[in-house]
Amino acid sequence: MNDWVVPAILLLMLLCGLVRRVQVYDVFLEGARAGLRTAWDVLPCLTAMLAAVALLTASGAMEALLSGLAPALQRLGVPEGALPVLLIRPFSGSATMAMLENTLAIYGPDSPEGRTASVMMGSSETIFYTVSLYLAAAGVRRARHAIPAALLAWLAGGLASAWLCRWL
Amino acid sequence: MMNIVWAGMCFVGLAWGLAQGRGAALTEGALTAVMDAVSLSIRLAGGFALWNGMLAILEKSGALRALTRALSPVLRRLFRGVPADSPAQEAMAMNMAANMLGLGNAATPMGLRAMRLLPREADAARASDAMCMFLVVNASSIQLFPSSVIALRAAAGSAEPASIVLPSLLATTVSTAVGIAACKALERWGRRRGE
Repeated sequence: MNDWVVPAILLLMLLCGLVRRVQVYDVFLEGARAGLRTAWDVLPCLTAMLAAVALLTASGAMEALLSGLAPALQRLGVPEGALPVLLIRPFSGSATMAMLENTLAIYGPDSPEGRTASVMMGSSETIFYTVSLYLAAAGVRRARHAIPAALLAWLAGGLASAWLCRWL
Repeated sequence: MMNIVWAGMCFVGLAWGLAQGRGAALTEGALTAVMDAVSLSIRLAGGFALWNGMLAILEKSGALRALTRALSPVLRRLFRGVPADSPAQEAMAMNMAANMLGLGNAATPMGLRAMRLLPREADAARASDAMCMFLVVNASSIQLFPSSVIALRAAAGSAEPASIVLPSLLATTVSTAVGIAACKALERWGRRRGE
């Protein structure tokens, strides 16, 4: 049912470029170069995070943690397997990517865990990084209510992800 | 911040595993994971190249400018202290438009510029109400199309990599709405306490 989404969006983007007489091929190459650089830039973080997750998993600590939290999560309707993605989300974008990859590999991308984790990644941003970077730019030290409000938004987005994935 | 998170994960994993006598599993797990990270980033590079290339076309076609214009009435309502068509409002609109389209690299410089232009408190070390609201909107994603999640799902062999587009859009709407409401409520609460 969603087969058409990706090609339709690609077509729309291409048409926008053609209508405005953009040199589409040259511009595509420029953008693709930036995309390749992004993949290269996130690689150190992927190795660090995937190694850390592997240590947690291989030691049995992850299992102990998740089984401890399982009853509470079940009551909230959040699948256990999606929890690592939710927890790391406010800290780092590429670490979230690593967690999501891990969840997709274990549970499968089309499982409830995989879908929920995918939606969680898109439902929030890296709160602590964004806030500290932006405050530093303005020369401001006290964030006042920005962090609590952002964390509430993150939590609401996480719960909404879990519930939406059950209905849609 | 990430220093503590990462060190904590590694420390708990190593200490717990050693205490349970799982040294071999730890070694193998860590080494397999870093090799997976390398092959994953190669698979991801393809998806990133495709989306970034198409996004560059969209950006060049003026979509960013059109979206920026469309956002300004919304911003006027959200940031009452910021005059319409002021440089601060324009920078915020461009930042949000870039975020909606998933152009993170274009969004950040505009966001930083907006932070410098936004109204300040008498005590300059404190973030103003407008700054807090702008931070919250930025921290709760407003991306319309999660292209890197789709690339990751495709790399993991999903039969329907784009099936998360609609739930993602709804979830991000919920998180942004809750963030804005929380921001307004906390603002009022702080003022009542005579902050």
